[in-house]
Amino acid sequence: MFLTRSEYDRGVSTFSPEGRLFQVEYSLQAIKLGSTAIGIATSEGVILGVEKRVTSPLLESSSIEKIVEIDNHIGCAMSGLTADARSMIDHARVASLNHNLYYDEKIQVETLTQSVCDLALRFGEGVDGEERLMSRPFGVALLIAGYDDINGPQLYHADPSGTFYRYDAKAIGAGSEGAQAELNNEYHKSLTLKDAELLILKILKQVMEEKLDSNNAQLASVTKDEGFRIYSDEETGKIIQELKDQEDDDIAEAS
Amino acid sequence: MAGLSFENYQRNQFLSSKGYAVPKATSTGTTIVGCKFNGGVVIAADTRATAGPIVADKNCEKLHRIAPHIWCAGAGTAADTEMVTQLISSNIELHSLYTNREPRVCTALTLLKQHLFKYSGHIGAYLIVAGTDPTGSHLFSIHAHGSTDIGYYQTLGSGSLAAMSVFESRWKLDLTKEEAMKLCSDAIQAGIWNDLGSGSNVDLCVMEAGKDAVLHRNYLTPNVRSQKANNYIFNRGATVVLKEKTIYSKLELVSEEVIISTPEERPEAMEVDA
Amino acid sequence: MSSDYSNIKDSAPIEHRFNPYSDNGGTILGIAGEDFAVLAGDTRHTTGYSINSRYEPKVFDVGDNIIMSANGFSADGNSLITNFKTNLQWYHFNNNEEKLKISSAARLIQHLLYGKRFFPYYVHTIIAGLDENGKGAVYSFDPVGSYEREQCRAGGAAASLIMPFLDNQVNFKNQANQPLRYLSLNEVLSLVKDAFSSATERHIHVGDYLEILIVTKEGVRTELYPLKRD
Repeated sequence: MFLTRSEYDRGVSTFSPEGRLFQVEYSLQAIKLGSTAIGIATSEGVILGVEKRVTSPLLESSSIEKIVEIDNHIGCAMSGLTADARSMIDHARVASLNHNLYYDEKIQVETLTQSVCDLALRFGEGVDGEERLMSRPFGVALLIAGYDDINGPQLYHADPSGTFYRYDAKAIGAGSEGAQAELNNEYHKSLTLKDAELLILKILKQVMEEKLDSNNAQLASVTKDEGFRIYSDEETGKIIQELKDQEDDDIAEAS
Repeated sequence: MAGLSFENYQRNQFLSSKGYAVPKATSTGTTIVGCKFNGGVVIAADTRATAGPIVADKNCEKLHRIAPHIWCAGAGTAADTEMVTQLISSNIELHSLYTNREPRVCTALTLLKQHLFKYSGHIGAYLIVAGTDPTGSHLFSIHAHGSTDIGYYQTLGSGSLAAMSVFESRWKLDLTKEEAMKLCSDAIQAGIWNDLGSGSNVDLCVMEAGKDAVLHRNYLTPNVRSQKANNYIFNRGATVVLKEKTIYSKLELVSEEVIISTPEERPEAMEVDA
Repeated sequence: MSSDYSNIKDSAPIEHRFNPYSDNGGTILGIAGEDFAVLAGDTRHTTGYSINSRYEPKVFDVGDNIIMSANGFSADGNSLITNFKTNLQWYHFNNNEEKLKISSAARLIQHLLYGKRFFPYYVHTIIAGLDENGKGAVYSFDPVGSYEREQCRAGGAAASLIMPFLDNQVNFKNQANQPLRYLSLNEVLSLVKDAFSSATERHIHVGDYLEILIVTKEGVRTELYPLKRD
């Protein structure tokens, strides 16, 4: 299978005869190696949840940063080659700050997402005036969560091909297939913020290899009133406990 | 003390080098014209006086009498045209008394140009001199440096080009008095409408041989101010009383009379501008 | 020049230099009401003592219920307004055709002006419209982008003649017994007409026509009145 492709997957900006850009497609594969990240948009706000792979007991889990703030009203979760996300986040932060500087208002979440995706195809040869920034496509996907006055709470998925879609609920990373199937089953429009927190942790628990605890999972929310906020470990722990109690109740009920 | 004093010249130069701006004289923006006709001469002027871009006087007089039959229209620095005209007017009258003859226009012209030349342009008077005397009717123009011009028609001031366009397109020999008056007032109007330095009304003076000169003050008034949309009478108490003090006089009250005086009964007291 | 009367030996050498700016006269005036705003300007276009045009509009509907005028050097004014319109179009492209708020327009204009800090647009800029709460808004700018939201502002040649009148009649300054209140549209329009007819009386660069643009939630409306032509 790889033999047939090999002629056309060297150059980052070379189409195959079938019209495919293999390097971009490979970069999509890189995300499937990453840790799972889930986002759910509710009418009250957006919840992001990520799995943190604590590969050694000596690893300080708080140093694993997979959810970051872009601006007070926008945050994002990532999966894949997280180092690549650095330049995207930097770009997003500059775009948001500049918008506020030039227009004296918060940037819209979609505008911000578009501006990040504009970066994605800046590999290969530079096009008129635009500098060539990278030698290869990004190896990371983002879940961008935000709130603005025009469209309310929003969740976007941006991938290395530079395309983005708005989702009610989306999962990326290694466990994304199972997680997405679960989201499709469980999501409904009247979900509360609290429901979304529990649902994300419940799904993470199902798809993660390790046992879920406040060390290897992180939550964040974006709401109208509080803006972007990463949950403390205690807070996450509490919700995990709540989830456990709920499951115990369910088992008790079933038996 | 007669004549011009230069005692502050050095001080003022020093002051202006230190950045104190020299105060601005009201000046220049003007249209004045003159035109000969069969048996006389007409001069005319607009009535706007400016200080930079600001209209200083909406109805000033730019037509000056030098002698009963010799009149002069002035452009340039308002004070200079006024003073130089008065000075030469006095000298002409003395000369007329001394020689026991009617004053001649060419005498006024010579006196003016010699005076202005002496001051090499520092007296900013640009004049159109016209009149009748025993030798006939005459029309001249004088520039601030002392040069003079003779012609059937003359224009001067910032609106001189606009005014001249009227003469150059419509002037002909052997004009009647009425034709000359129309031509002059049209020339002034060309300045009023098209030159920003000129505006408001047309003043006109007709000097006919053997007759008294006739000054038509505000011959035309094509720029009457329209009615304002609001009236701007302030309510009683609009001005705060900060301090009150009564000074008692020892005068005895003999009789008392109350005169009711409201703004409505004295409309002239309300006029804010004018 | 040196003479017996002068203590200055040689005055500074005469410098011949191209001056890229000129002054095209004219005056503008913006007033905000409770649920409307007006921006008015005369239409006389001048250089020196000459009238270039008796009808050259300088107050524009730039879109998104915003009206704008940049008074002073008209080439710079036109350029600024064109630039603003281009930027507005880009804002629409980038933000899903979202309407630009008047406060955002003001911030954008600040950057357009400050972007030419060392070769400024020689203009006094005023914009007017409605804010997010539907209240009338007027923003005014200096040539390099300092800006402020105000109830009223006059700009251009006769600004110094009109502004004290506005202070007294719009904000009731120096009127002890007048409580502050919103003026009705008719009151504002008659103030604007009197301000311009009075400025025309005393300023040579003001006259010919008065063009008033009025913004309400229904949109932008224009009225034209004659002024004196001398």
